[in-house]
Amino acid sequence: MGDYAQFLLPLAKGLGMTALLCIISAVGGSIVGLLVGLARASSIGFIRWVSAIYTNLLRGIPLLIILLFTFFALPLLIPGAVFSKLACGAIALTLFVSAYIAEVVRGGLESVPRGQFEAAEALGMNYFLKFRYIIVPQAMRVVVPPWTGIILAMIKDSSLVSVIGFVDLTQAGKIIGTTTMLPLLTFVVVGAIYFVICYPLGKFGRWYEKRLTVSLGRPQAVDLGPASTDLLAEEPLLQVRGEK
Amino acid sequence: MISVKGLQKKYGNVEVLKSIDCEIKPSEVVCVIGPSGSGKSTFLRCLNLLETITAGSVVINGHDLGNSKLDRVLVRRDVGMVFQQFNLFPHMKVLDNVMIAPIKVAKKSREVTKEKALELLAKVGLSDKADVYPSSLSGGQQQRVAIARALAMDPTVMLFDEPTSALDPETVGDVLAVMKRLAGEGMTMVVVSHEMGFAREVADRVIFMDQGYIVEEGTPADIFDRPTQDRTKAFLSRVL
Ligand SMILES: Nc1ncnc2c1ncn2[C@@H]1O[C@H](COP(=O)(O)OP(=O)(O)O)[C@@H](O)[C@H]1O
Ligand SMILES: [Mg+2]
Repeated sequence: MGDYAQFLLPLAKGLGMTALLCIISAVGGSIVGLLVGLARASSIGFIRWVSAIYTNLLRGIPLLIILLFTFFALPLLIPGAVFSKLACGAIALTLFVSAYIAEVVRGGLESVPRGQFEAAEALGMNYFLKFRYIIVPQAMRVVVPPWTGIILAMIKDSSLVSVIGFVDLTQAGKIIGTTTMLPLLTFVVVGAIYFVICYPLGKFGRWYEKRLTVSLGRPQAVDLGPASTDLLAEEPLLQVRGEK
Repeated sequence: MISVKGLQKKYGNVEVLKSIDCEIKPSEVVCVIGPSGSGKSTFLRCLNLLETITAGSVVINGHDLGNSKLDRVLVRRDVGMVFQQFNLFPHMKVLDNVMIAPIKVAKKSREVTKEKALELLAKVGLSDKADVYPSSLSGGQQQRVAIARALAMDPTVMLFDEPTSALDPETVGDVLAVMKRLAGEGMTMVVVSHEMGFAREVADRVIFMDQGYIVEEGTPADIFDRPTQDRTKAFLSRVL
């Protein structure tokens, strides 16, 4: 029994490292992805061009190579700076994931009808106000389901950081498996832990998607007070919603 | 108030507005009519900077829209726009649709804005819809919210681009009634519309556009009863 407790600690530590790595990368990747996605929809050709190169390049390179590249190249690019393995892993995952999120954000922005941009501009909104209050909230509906999928894949792919010697959940499992001579049992446990993290996230994505379909079919019906029920009965639902 | 001289607009090589000259005085109601594709929407969109001007000048309340140092926000606060497709913000309740611009753009306080927004909703006859989402409203109701939303910024000019073309016939009247009241209160209005009854009754001046030119303009009686240009006559005989 005491033996198990002895291996629980490194496993928990590995889990903590994976969690930390994934949270940093998910937040970082989402922020960078949002910005690059906005850049993809920019009216300035040069910005569109640079952001297109960014996403296409990063999506065309295996994560493993991005990881090794950040590990070996970062100290060369910024001499004197010391990068922890966590930092290297987080930067690599952020870059990787941001390229995919950027594409999803671009799709989301394109799903918002032109008239919404024009209405916001006609009311005097500047770029920030227009995106912050009008465009992004509407794009979110389209962005969130694939976003959860990307984050999910990232959590699983994060096990690759062991190649740069970062002791995450997978690497901890490898070490424990070797020392206990119980690799199979260890990896069953490790796999189960990944599953327990990923499954609810996937569930959330599907739930959100479902809610989306429902609310598109009968928009916002939940939010209407009792006063509007007879209105719904007398008027055909979903009157032209702004698209041509 | 609005002074347009030699306005030209090209998309690539396509010249959509060829040379538009037009003066609009305060409190004047101008109706713009003309066949589809004649450049009516483009003309309106040039007046609130949704399109950049290729050549010529547009001056609104002393702001030269061609000036590169122009404060676009200031112009747009002065010019309200109502679209054919309403373009209400579907993720916001009706009241928030009306309140968002005064609060975020004009930086007005929430209390003052709310009071004003409720007044405007009452004015367009939709007090009871403040707390619903636009998608639950009929087209005519949505368009009236759109008018209230534009008015919330206290514009001095209102532009309407075929405000009733996307509506079911039975809801057109309510929208026109609101516009008529607005005209009666002295609002300066430029209205692209094929509602000839409205033009005849409310407009001070009717402009007939075709192929990027102003072909003819005059009082509603001039244009509808005594058109001088063949193109005007041909158009009117088709729509009347
Ligand atoms: N963004 C655009 N790019 C190219 N051509 C356009 C664009 N917008 C409008 N046009 C063209 O300009 C002409 C005038 O359009 P528009 O102003 O919408 O006419 P109207 O409102 O009188 O029907 C049309 O021939 C249309 O095809
Ligand atoms: Mg038009």
